[in-house]
Amino acid sequence: MSHEHEHHQTAPPEMRDAGSQALTEALRSSFVIVKIALVLLVVLIFAAGIFTVGPQERAIILRFGKPQGEGQQMLLGAGLHWSLPYPIDEVIRIPISELQKVTSTAGWYQTTPEMEAAGFEPPAGPALDPRIDSYVITADRNIIHVRATVTYHIDDPLHAIFDFAGGGTNQEFNLTGVAKAVQDVANNAIIATAARYNVDDILTHDFGGFQDAVEQRVRSLADAEKLGVAIDQCTVDRVPPRQLKDVFAAVSSAMQAHDKLINEAQGMTNRILSEANARAASLTNQAESARNNYVAAVKSQAAAFEQLLAAPEYRRNPRLYEQMKLAEAMTLVLTNVQDKIYLPLAADGRPSELWLQLNREPVQQKPGPNR
Amino acid sequence: MKKSLVTIVIAAVLVAIFVLLLFTFQVRRSEVAVKTTFGKPTDELNQPGLYFKLPWPVQQVYKFDQRVQTFEDKFSERPTADSALLLSSVYVGWKITDAKAFFPKFPGGSVTAAQRQLEEIVGSAKAAVVGNHNLSDFVNANPQDLKFDAIEAEIKDIVQAKLATNNYGITVEFLGIQKLGLPENVTAAVFDRMKSERSKYISKAQFKGQEEADKIRSDAERQASDTINNAQALATRIQGEGEAEAVQSLKVFQENPELAVFQLRLAALKDSLNQKSTLILDERTPPFDLFHNLPAAPAANQ
Repeated sequence: MSHEHEHHQTAPPEMRDAGSQALTEALRSSFVIVKIALVLLVVLIFAAGIFTVGPQERAIILRFGKPQGEGQQMLLGAGLHWSLPYPIDEVIRIPISELQKVTSTAGWYQTTPEMEAAGFEPPAGPALDPRIDSYVITADRNIIHVRATVTYHIDDPLHAIFDFAGGGTNQEFNLTGVAKAVQDVANNAIIATAARYNVDDILTHDFGGFQDAVEQRVRSLADAEKLGVAIDQCTVDRVPPRQLKDVFAAVSSAMQAHDKLINEAQGMTNRILSEANARAASLTNQAESARNNYVAAVKSQAAAFEQLLAAPEYRRNPRLYEQMKLAEAMTLVLTNVQDKIYLPLAADGRPSELWLQLNREPVQQKPGPNR
Repeated sequence: MKKSLVTIVIAAVLVAIFVLLLFTFQVRRSEVAVKTTFGKPTDELNQPGLYFKLPWPVQQVYKFDQRVQTFEDKFSERPTADSALLLSSVYVGWKITDAKAFFPKFPGGSVTAAQRQLEEIVGSAKAAVVGNHNLSDFVNANPQDLKFDAIEAEIKDIVQAKLATNNYGITVEFLGIQKLGLPENVTAAVFDRMKSERSKYISKAQFKGQEEADKIRSDAERQASDTINNAQALATRIQGEGEAEAVQSLKVFQENPELAVFQLRLAALKDSLNQKSTLILDERTPPFDLFHNLPAAPAANQ
C-alpha cells in the first residue's frame, strides 16, 4: 500500500530530472531487496525453531528456563516440533527408552551378563572378599546373594529429569541421575529386607513374602525420595553362596526325602483306614446276618418244638420219642467218630481203668532211612 | 528519510536485544542463581524464569546446579558396639539449598569440593553411629529389635546437624545404607557355621521325616483299631439284640423244659462228637447196654 503511495509522490520530479529518476529507480530496487531480505530473515528465524526428535529421545522446551507443559505432556516424542528462537526458548534433549531397568549391585557376586548367559560361574574361594563379591547378611547372620531388578518408567519428568544430576555439567540433561537413585533404592531395599528375614525364608519358605517386602520398600523409598518414577515391576533373585552350593543341594534333597516319607505314610494311612473300614463293615454285616440266622433258627426250632408238642404221636408216648431220637443220634455219632473203644465193666461191676497217652496233633510219620 | 526509518527500526531492535542481554538473565529449572552487587551476594533466585540485573560491574550472576547429587560413601570397616567388625556403605542424595551460603564456602562454588567435604562428614557420622549399635540392630528377625531405619535416620540427623552448624548451604535429601558386609575371614567362619547348620538340618529332616511318618502311621493304626473295635461292639450289640429277639421264642420251650433240654443235649452230643474223636464206651451206654443184657452167648472175643 505504502509502496503505491511512494510511487505517486515521486512521480512529478521524474519528469524534470532524468538523473534523480535513475537514482530513485535504483533506491526503489534496493529497497525491494532489503525488504525481501528482511522477510527472509524473519522466516529464517522462525524456521530455525523447527526441530526433530528421534525415536530414542524426548525433548523438552524451556521458556526462559521454565519447562513447558505439565507432567507427561512435557516430553515431546519423536517427530517434528517447533519452538521460539533462543534465548526465549531452549530445547533440551533427553536420551530415553520406553522401559527403564536397573539391577541392584549390593548383593550379588561379581559376574557379567555375558558370563551369566553362558552359565559360567566364577570359581568360589573359601571366603568372600568384600571388595569383589557382594552379598546380603540375613537376620540369622547367614550370607546369601540377592539381587533385585527394577523396571520403572518416568512418571513425573519434572522431578526425574530436573531434580537429579546425572554426572556431567548442568548443561546436560539425561536420566542417568535418576537411574542411579533407583539403583541405590534397590540396593537399600535388598539389604534392609534381608536384614529382617531368615535365610531359609528367603531361599525357600517365604520367598514370595520376601520379594513383596523388597518391592514394597523400593516403592516407598522411590516415593519418599521424590524420584518422579513409577515402579512397574521388581523381581528378586536369590542363591546360596557358591561356596555352599553342595550343602544346600543336600539339604533340599533331604527335604525331598522327608516329604516323600510323609507322603508314603499318608498313602499308607489311606490304605490302613480303608482296610479297617472294610473289615468293620464286614464285621457288622456278619453280625447282622448271624443275628438274622440265629433268630430265624431259634424261631424255626420253636415252631418245630411247638409242632412236636402238639403232635398227637408225641403226646401218646413221649418216652418212645426220646428213645428213638437218642438211638438216631447215637447212630450218627458212632458213624462219625474215628475210633470207638468198647470197654466192658470189670467183673465186680466197677469201671475198669484205661490209661491213654494222647498227642494233641497226630504224630507225623518221619520218612527216616534208618527206620 | 525512508531509508533512515528502516535503519532506525533495525537499530532499535538490535539495541533492545543488546540491552536485554545486558540487563536480564535466565534461571533454568535445574539451577539456582546468586546475584551479587559489588561482589556482595544480595539475591538468591531458585525459581526458573527471566530476571533483571544491572550490568557488570555493578551486579554479577553466579549459577549453581540445584539438582540432587548422589554419591556412595566408601565401603569401610567399623567395629560395632559389641565389637563385631562390620563393613558398610551409605548412599547420599544432597543438594544446594542455600546458594548464598554455599557460594562463599567452596572455591568457585565447586560441587566436587562440597561433595568431598560432605563425604568426610558422612564418614565420621557413620563411624559414630555404627559404634553405637550392636550387630543385632542391623540384622534381626524381630521387627521390634531391628533398628535399620533408625540407624539410617541417626546418621542423616548427625550429618544434617553438622551441615547446619557449619552453614554449608547444602541439605541431605536422603541417606540410606547401600551395602553391608563382613571382613573376609569372618565370611569363612560364617560359611563353616552355615555348613554345620545345614548338616544339622539334613539329619533333622531325615529324623523328622521318619518320626512324622511313624506318627502318621500309628495314628492311622489307632484310628483303624478304633473303627474295628467300634464295629465289634456294634456286632456284639447286634448279637445281643438277636438273643433278645430269640428269647421271645423261648416261651414255647417252657411248655416242656425237659424235652427242650433233651433236644439241646442231643444236638450238643451230635456236634461235639464229630470226626477225629475217640469214644470210649462201656455197656452202660445205650445202645451198648445191649451187650450187658445179652442172653448167655459166647462173647469172649473182646
